[in-house]
Amino acid sequence: MHTNWLVEITKRAQSGPYMKESDFDLKVIKRIKELVKEKGIKYDPNVLCPADDDMADRVWEAGLQLFLEFGAYCQTTERCIRFTRAEVLDILAEVRNEITLGVGKDAVVMRHRGVEDAANRAIMHSGPTGLPCTERWHPLILQSCAQEPLVDCLGAGSVSTYFGEKIIPGTPLEILGARRDASVAREAVRMAGRPGMHINDVAVPLTCAGKMAACDPQAGLRPSDGILVSQMVELKTDFDQLSRVAHLYNTGGVTVDLMTPLIGGLGGAAPGTAVVSVADHLLGVVLYDADYHMFSLTHLHYVNNTDPLGLWVNAMVGQALARNTRIVTLNDVYVISGPGTKELLYECAAQAIIGTVCGFNMQGAGTTGGFKADHTTGLEARFIAEVSRAALGLKRQDASALAAELLTRYQATLSSPNRGKPFAEVYDIETVQPKAEWLDMYYDVKDDLARLGLVMKYAPRPASA
Amino acid sequence: MSIPESISERLTQALQEGEADTAEEVALEALQANLDPLEVIADVMIPALTEVGRQFQAGEIFLPELMMAGEAAERVTKHMEAAITAQGRTSIPLGVVVIGTVQGDIHDIGKNIVATMLRAHGFKVVDMGRNVAPSAFLNAANEYNALIVALSSLMTTTRPLALGTLNLFKEVGVKDRYRLVVGGGCVTRDWAEEVGFDGYSEDAAGAVELCKALVRAK
Repeated sequence: MHTNWLVEITKRAQSGPYMKESDFDLKVIKRIKELVKEKGIKYDPNVLCPADDDMADRVWEAGLQLFLEFGAYCQTTERCIRFTRAEVLDILAEVRNEITLGVGKDAVVMRHRGVEDAANRAIMHSGPTGLPCTERWHPLILQSCAQEPLVDCLGAGSVSTYFGEKIIPGTPLEILGARRDASVAREAVRMAGRPGMHINDVAVPLTCAGKMAACDPQAGLRPSDGILVSQMVELKTDFDQLSRVAHLYNTGGVTVDLMTPLIGGLGGAAPGTAVVSVADHLLGVVLYDADYHMFSLTHLHYVNNTDPLGLWVNAMVGQALARNTRIVTLNDVYVISGPGTKELLYECAAQAIIGTVCGFNMQGAGTTGGFKADHTTGLEARFIAEVSRAALGLKRQDASALAAELLTRYQATLSSPNRGKPFAEVYDIETVQPKAEWLDMYYDVKDDLARLGLVMKYAPRPASA
Repeated sequence: MSIPESISERLTQALQEGEADTAEEVALEALQANLDPLEVIADVMIPALTEVGRQFQAGEIFLPELMMAGEAAERVTKHMEAAITAQGRTSIPLGVVVIGTVQGDIHDIGKNIVATMLRAHGFKVVDMGRNVAPSAFLNAANEYNALIVALSSLMTTTRPLALGTLNLFKEVGVKDRYRLVVGGGCVTRDWAEEVGFDGYSEDAAGAVELCKALVRAK
């Protein structure tokens, strides 16, 4: 893809069919219901990770059909941006199937992964995903992630104040906040001894100007780093997002397509959510020319993706994309529990196992449903990476059985979650290492997983612990 | 005149299943039979849609079902309101709520759910959409003679704009004329109370109860 294509998209955003947004939503939900029925896509709560290639392909076909019929809705112009089947298939055929992230010795290659892919491990992204941090603890939280050897990439997260003053989008403080967070992330990877590590975004700015302000080869984001280009649920974009694509085209940065489909949202139940999630990926391919995709699925009520519906949707979307495209995508692990609880680790494990087996790379963890500032640490990122590596080579049936067993460890807490403790209570803030209580839980859960057959060789419990 | 079961059951079913065409058909039938539109709203629509709201909150149904029920309700309400107005009566059973997502925030699913639920419970809802400037809330509250102004704020960085809207109402001296309420992912009850909002809810069902309570306390 090249700049001319963005010119064409911009033209279509101004000349495509006009539609009220509420009408677009209603038409989308009705069509999703029809497609789910037509394609016979069925959710079975007893099979969290279906080993059903045919159903995965039907999810793909339904998602492709949905995208072909609706395209993307441009909120700026209130018009639909539509594409022909030939255009979409041409772009899909040429899409990159791997991307180098970071530079020098810290660079990693994130690849398209297949179903039950034992050859390509999942690349591990970390950071305070979807969770605000305070100015005080943000630097240490980032460092706790960047220093984990199994972590490959860092997300800078979001701090909502600038020297105590609330950051308001579109104001000078947004620019200052974006530049501050970018430099804190740059310093975190340097302090971790990994100066070339890929930083996947600075989340505080909500405007294109703010994202651009985070780019600074010396003290902020470099061309080897990424910027998120977001979709609004479902199948929506605007000129601010497309302007980020324009910026990245001309500066050579990594384009990260962020989609946040909601389980129980416009897609409805699990089958419809899977269908619209595939269509969302196609939006990122066709409109954003994304280098990789960030699949941040969350439940409408709980804001996690570790409930049975979330696990199933991830399994089906991953398989549909792995079998039918070459795209590189990652599974954003969103949990409802917080640090200092075993439930958080069990939630992470269930999602990491299914995500790995179904073709995703990994990111996590987004903790406490995003509700509790500073309730995030590097230990859960380490744990997800370990589980993902241990899950390489698992068959879908085994992943399904394991996830079902893990679900019993936390399902009862979904409606009354244990939000755990903030970073400074579970980490030693001098050494930036997990405190004994948090580490003991980590070892206990690893022991439990080993008993279930998932053995993790990295960082075993010390003999004295 | 009470609502005949044949009408009541069919309208309830059409509303709850989101069958907008059928719901509209039955509504017109009810009006042709000279049934009191206010009674149709109070005795059939509100109970039917309250049940839809309960099912949504309990996770028994999802957003598509809620939205389709909302669409059906809107089609029925249009006819009922026209009939009420033609009779020279007031068409607003509960009150007007001006709702929107605060400036800077482009997330509106939560706000849309609350708007649908409020409509379902008999409020007239003026939906300002997303990224709404404080002055736009103020103008709409005045123009539509609102009882309640409901702000939604999801992203942490947009919370100051919720406060900015509240402050504008105070600065121009009209705060006491309206009830300002707030909700959304980045807002807490403690914060809402501390800065002076008249109410807070963490979910859509709570928002409906909050607005009803504010109507009762009027």
